[in-house]
Amino acid sequence: MDKVLELKDFNVTYKNKSKKVYAVKDINLVINKGDSLGIVGESGSGKSTLAMALLRLLPEKNTDINGSSNFANMDLVQASEKELKEIRWKELSVVFQKSMNALSPVHRIGEQIEDIYRVHKPNARKDEILDRIKALLKLVNLSDRVIKMYPHELSGGMLQRVAIAISLIHDPKLLIMDEATTALDVVTQGQILAEIVKMEQTLDVTRIMITHDISVVATTCNKIAVLYAGELMEVGYVKDILKDPKHPYTKGLLASIPSLSGEKETLTGIPGHLPDLSQKYEGCIFAPRCKFAMEQCEKSKPSEVQLSAENRVWCHLYSHLDRDEQLESREDLVEVNR
Amino acid sequence: MEAKKSFVKINNISMWYPQKNKTLSQVFKKEQQWVKAVDNVSLELAKGEILGVIGESGCGKSTLGRALARLENPTQGDVFINDISTQNLIKEDQRKFRRTVQIVFQNPFDTFTPRDTIEKILMRPLKLHGIEKNDEERRKKCIDLLESGGLKPAEEIMKRYPHELSGGQLQRISILRSMLFNPQFIIADEPVSMLDVSVRAEIINMLLTLSRENDATVVFISHDIALTRYISDKIAVMYLGKVIEYGDCETIINRPQHPYTQALISNTASIDPDEEREIIKVEGEPPTPVNPGPGCYFAPRCFKATENCFKQYPETVEFESGHFVSCSEI
Repeated sequence: MDKVLELKDFNVTYKNKSKKVYAVKDINLVINKGDSLGIVGESGSGKSTLAMALLRLLPEKNTDINGSSNFANMDLVQASEKELKEIRWKELSVVFQKSMNALSPVHRIGEQIEDIYRVHKPNARKDEILDRIKALLKLVNLSDRVIKMYPHELSGGMLQRVAIAISLIHDPKLLIMDEATTALDVVTQGQILAEIVKMEQTLDVTRIMITHDISVVATTCNKIAVLYAGELMEVGYVKDILKDPKHPYTKGLLASIPSLSGEKETLTGIPGHLPDLSQKYEGCIFAPRCKFAMEQCEKSKPSEVQLSAENRVWCHLYSHLDRDEQLESREDLVEVNR
Repeated sequence: MEAKKSFVKINNISMWYPQKNKTLSQVFKKEQQWVKAVDNVSLELAKGEILGVIGESGCGKSTLGRALARLENPTQGDVFINDISTQNLIKEDQRKFRRTVQIVFQNPFDTFTPRDTIEKILMRPLKLHGIEKNDEERRKKCIDLLESGGLKPAEEIMKRYPHELSGGQLQRISILRSMLFNPQFIIADEPVSMLDVSVRAEIINMLLTLSRENDATVVFISHDIALTRYISDKIAVMYLGKVIEYGDCETIINRPQHPYTQALISNTASIDPDEEREIIKVEGEPPTPVNPGPGCYFAPRCFKATENCFKQYPETVEFESGHFVSCSEI
């Protein structure tokens, strides 16, 4: 499968005079074409930092980005501002939680979309642009009337739809939605999520959803990455992980969400709180809050355990699995060699 | 309304705000337009019962909470606690009212004075209400209280300032503080929506145990339906200032009758990726609460609306025992 985005040892560090905050640590992640990846984590887990660093939107003065992120034959970490300008909107676009606030209050929606269209196609004809805008608005379930309206005439849900439409204007390869539906009401969120899933059937777009709401990922994504304190805990298919979570953190997270159907089960939270990210830790970052923490967990960082082709977990509980398998495969190799 | 004796009786409470930005014609006609944030809400709660209030943002659920706690005086209507009118109680003995009714707010970072330590914050209400004899005993009460809420070491926490504590800890203190006077009626206005999922469960469980210990009646305001189902005995669904459906928690979740409740529940995303749901599509957004009607407020968006719905606001009917719906199609 084609790789759209490949992160290798991706690190983001915020720094000021007195201290450094290690916000995102050693992320290794591959996103294939057509995937929809949900990145979940609590506040402060570094999910937005990851997205902003990918987009290179963080102030360079006080952030260090290390590692590589390969997107469309270029390394986003090393790319120059000019190169980035080339790919923004066209290949890579983003919708934020408050994207709707970015709309100018004194220009009509249509004019604003037109401006963005002309960024990459400066010589486009008026009617061509109008057709494109109409098609986009139809995609997000808005009527053509919106073109002639000002942002204050639209509700929050409609504005967020406009923002999503704008992000799709140049058929980007990768769309990042950073809490794009969080500020909206249940009904509006449900509508927009359904529209996103529907429109993906017709478009050729890979999507990253960043959210703290696992149910959003469950309804709209096929893969999930669980982030805690800037580190990946578990990556894999949504249907596997939400059914049978492997990492104690994912388990805890799922146990603390009440369900709408079935028996009422007692909710259990995860005791403790996020560690101070300005320090480096020797062991597993989740160990102080983990029910299953062993001696080993405080001493060494768990390495990646490949559970199946796409499912990976970073936890000592499963490291023996990997070792056994590795041993087996090694024995196989030895036999083959013989 | 119920066989069990009601403890808190909300009687036709309304909260109307005058509309300030009048159009020119309204100025000449001297018409006053009202934003009906809460409109004729009547509910009854038994002792120790937990009522969940759900609805979209702007439907008036927080305003209802504020009116119940008398942070704002309702335009009309009254609340009776144990057959005592709170309107009279607050005039006669405001402190007694505050001891009976307490409210927990959404944002734990805003509920505390940033300049005072937790000790000062917790001691002040005790002092004002003249509880315990001296500061020593009051301090002991505070320490016991914090420890009962799992905040250890309590003495250490008492010395801290609000910004030195996490959101979860602050919200715990906020809930514990509201429990200082063993209130009989607690209004929890989205107490956990600002917190992380992993912290949420513990705080909800704490709220549940504390209110059970005190046998307090709770109004739990939330937009999270699954959470409301977890905590409540009864659920009231609000739309544009009116309660449109009320009944037992499980009945409302499993067999909602009002089209709006049906849509709301069908749009709630589940964490089970296999669950097949039929999403009921609702067009548009809630209209403004400035003079809605004359028909059913939900009619313009309703998928079941008939001509009749646009003519008159539907009466509340008892669909089955203890399950009330305001819809003319039932």
